[in-house]
Order: sequence, then C-alpha cells, then structure tokens
Amino acid sequence: MTRRALVEALRGSAHRSLVDGGGMVVSIAFYVVIVGTLSGLWRVAVHANGGELAGYSAVAITWYIITSEAAIVSVNARHIEDIGADIAQGTVAVELLRPASVLGVRMATEVGRGLPKVAALWGAGAVVAAVVAGGPPRSATLLLAAPSLVLAIIANLLAQHAVAAIAFWIRDAGSVWFLYLKAVFITGGMIIPLELLPDGVQHAAMLMPFRAMAYAPARLAAGYWEPMLFVEQLVWIGILGVVASAAFSAGERRLQVVGG
Amino acid sequence: MRGLWATLRNAFAEVVAKPLALAAQMSVMMINDFVWVVFWVLFFDRVGTLGGWDRNSILLLQAVLTTAGGLSLGLFTNARRIGAMAVAGDLDAVLALPVAPLPFVLLRRIEPVNLGDLAFGIGLFAIACNPTPARALAFALVVLASTTLLTGFLVLTGALAFFLGRSESGELGFHSMLLLGAYPVDLFAGAIRILLFTVVPAAFVSAVPARLIEEFDAGRALALGGAATVFAIAATITFTLGLRRYTSGSVWTRA
Repeated sequence: MTRRALVEALRGSAHRSLVDGGGMVVSIAFYVVIVGTLSGLWRVAVHANGGELAGYSAVAITWYIITSEAAIVSVNARHIEDIGADIAQGTVAVELLRPASVLGVRMATEVGRGLPKVAALWGAGAVVAAVVAGGPPRSATLLLAAPSLVLAIIANLLAQHAVAAIAFWIRDAGSVWFLYLKAVFITGGMIIPLELLPDGVQHAAMLMPFRAMAYAPARLAAGYWEPMLFVEQLVWIGILGVVASAAFSAGERRLQVVGG
Repeated sequence: MRGLWATLRNAFAEVVAKPLALAAQMSVMMINDFVWVVFWVLFFDRVGTLGGWDRNSILLLQAVLTTAGGLSLGLFTNARRIGAMAVAGDLDAVLALPVAPLPFVLLRRIEPVNLGDLAFGIGLFAIACNPTPARALAFALVVLASTTLLTGFLVLTGALAFFLGRSESGELGFHSMLLLGAYPVDLFAGAIRILLFTVVPAAFVSAVPARLIEEFDAGRALALGGAATVFAIAATITFTLGLRRYTSGSVWTRA
C-alpha cells in the first residue's frame, strides 16, 4: 500500500508539474535570467584572470552555473516554510490518517514535482550555455551529472524536511528557509564554485550536506570526472533520510499526544 | 493626506506591537544581506578589479540596493502584491475609502522582514562606505530616487495583471529587479546591458546611484531622476487604468 501510494504521489505530481505550462514558462524565464547574469559575471572574471579561475575555464564555469542553479531553482525555495505551515495548521495531522508514511508521500510528491522542472531548466540552461559560451567541456561527465541532479534534489528535499520538522515543536519555521537557502548559496556552491572559497570556508563546506545539493552535479557538468561526488551524495541522502525520518517520527508522536 | 498619514501610523503600530518578532525577522534579512556581501567580498578578493568595480564600490552598491529595497519593500510592501491583489479581487475595501487607492494600498502594510534590509543598508554605508557628510547627503538623495523607481517598477509590472489576468509578471519583475540590481552593470555588454537600463531598469536602482555617490555626474543624475519620474508616472497611469478593468472578489477585509 505504502509503495503504491508513493509511486502514485510521484507520478501525479510529476504530471501536474508537466501540464502547468504557465508555471513552467515563468520558471524557465526566471532561471534563464539568473544563469545568464550569474554566468556572465563569472565569464568576465575568468577572462580577466587569464582564461582560468581555480581550474575553471569560461565554458566550464558556465556549465557549472547552469547546473547548480537548475538543481536549486527546481525545488520550491520556501518548502521549509510550507511544511511548517502544514504542521502548524493541522494538515499533517490529517495526513497521519492515511495508511502511508507522511514523510514518504511528501517526499515522493516533491521529487515528482521537481523532476520535470529540473529537466526543463537544465535543458534551457544547456541552450544558454551553448549559445553564450560553448558546448559541454566534457560530454562524458554529463552522464554522471544527470543522475547527480536527481540525487541533489532528493538530498535538498530531505534536508528541508529535516529542518522543517522543528515546526512540530516551535509551530513556526517561517524564516528558517531563508537561512537554509543562504547556506546553500555559499557552502553548497550554488553561486560560487567551492574551489574559489577561502581555505577555511572550503574545508567547512566539505563537511556540510549542502554541497550534495548543488556543487556535486555542477562540478560534474563542468567537465570533472569525479564519481566520488556521486557516492558522497548517496551517503548524504542516507544520513539526511535517517535524520528527517527520525524528526518526523518524533514530531508525529508529539502530534498524536498533544494534538495538531 | 491626513488619512494616508494615519494609515502609515497604523501600519507601523501593527509592526512594533510585536517587538521580538520584528527583531527576529529583521535579523533574518540582515543575515541574508550579509551573505550577499560575503559573496561579493570573496568574488572581488579573488578577481581584483573588474570593469572599474572593486570591493569598495560593490559594498556601496549593496548599501544603496538594500536601503532602497528596504524602503520600497518594507514601507510600501503592497507594491509587490498589486498583481496578486488585482487577480484575487482583493481591492474592494480600498475602493470604498475616501482616499486615493494607490497611495493607500502602498502605505497600508509594512513588512518587518524588509525593514532588516533598510537597517542593514544604512549600517553598511555607515561602517564600510566612508560616510562623509557630502557622501551621506548624496546617499540619501540617490536612495530616494532609487526607491521611487523600484516602487514604480513593481507597481507597473504588478498592475499589468489587471490587463493580463495573471499576476506572474509582477513576481517576475520583482525577482528580476532585485537579482539584476545586485550586479555591477559595467560588467555586462550588449543586450543584457540594454535590458538593465530599459525593460528591467536595475542599473538605475543600484549601480548608477552608487556611481553618483562616488563621483557626481550631472548627466547620470538627470538620467536617474528622469527614470524614477517616468516609472512613477507610468505606474500611476497603469494602476489607474487597470482599476477600470478590476473585478470584485467580494473580499472586504484584506487590503
């Protein structure tokens, strides 16, 4: 029952995401503006530094940015806030009545929503990169980057659920999403490749899960054949999955005792 | 005018009634702004000077952007919600009042989160941007123009919802403006540069004002004043014409 519910949740939300043409067009337009501007900034910086910055050429950094942005933009940035609101308003309490895992169904729904979006965004980004900089620096690494993008979305959503679970206790996770997103910005390598950070920050970023959400697929798409990134993402997904699951289980027990 | 002043006072009273919440929300936005400043410092520390922009000038740009953004999004919060209000039919309560609808809507709500932008911008200017009296005066003037332009742009793109029936244009305009406004305009060429001065006039919200503080130029000042005036007028006209197409949502309490 649970497995079927998860598959149906994933399939249904993916379908809804696909048929929402207007929403998809707006997302793509916004994404193209972001990657056009940010990658333009980095290309200027690379050219001003003799054609290379921490090993990234203009083409490589453009592919890095279109991939890191696709990984993050395809997931609802305010998801933490939304989950918190659902917990506070009793929606989650109602979901407990279903014969399926609340976290599982929510994850399947959001992953299903994100997959068509990330495919569309990455496709649009590839066109932008090809036009403004050139084709992929190393086509073979794209074979790793594509599944890595899916893992990035899963890691991101699991982390958001783990963080949002604090709403079971404090009833308001409102502004936390802002801080979470900012952590992804820098230590996740969303707007700046981690190699360009100062040593101390770079080492700190290595120990955080955020790099599994943007840096890993972006580094692969930039032409670096580093399969260990893929493994690292799987490890983080395992850890985040356990944390989110434990947090939701504890929160659900609290809801059953205290009420929603 | 008295009615509008009372509206603003009430909006302030609502916000300061919960001082802890106000402080917490302002802090979150200040952390957000700080992260962007960290990014730019890291960027320029790594690449040096680009297109005449360096670490100091980008800090000035960020100070202008966050202060103007704080004023526009904090004090005139509904500027970015006009599209959604038009589509949802949320303007009924406003239209029944004996005050001009647009100023009332703009002043009705204050967003505590964005007051954090305002505080951060002023603080950044005071700490990191060499605030001599002349520069402080220039800062105040260009922020005023920048706020007018940003608010006008948000109202204009939001009011397009009266005609299009969808509010995405306002949200897209809002995000594009804030995103593009954070970049030094001189780093871009061709179509993007033209875009930044025209369709999404982000250059006038941050880069041009920042340059004016560093070095006054009459031509640039006129262009900034002109752009702010044009967008303020265009916004007022679009909103006023749009109201003729407004359809009630029978919502009387939310404006």
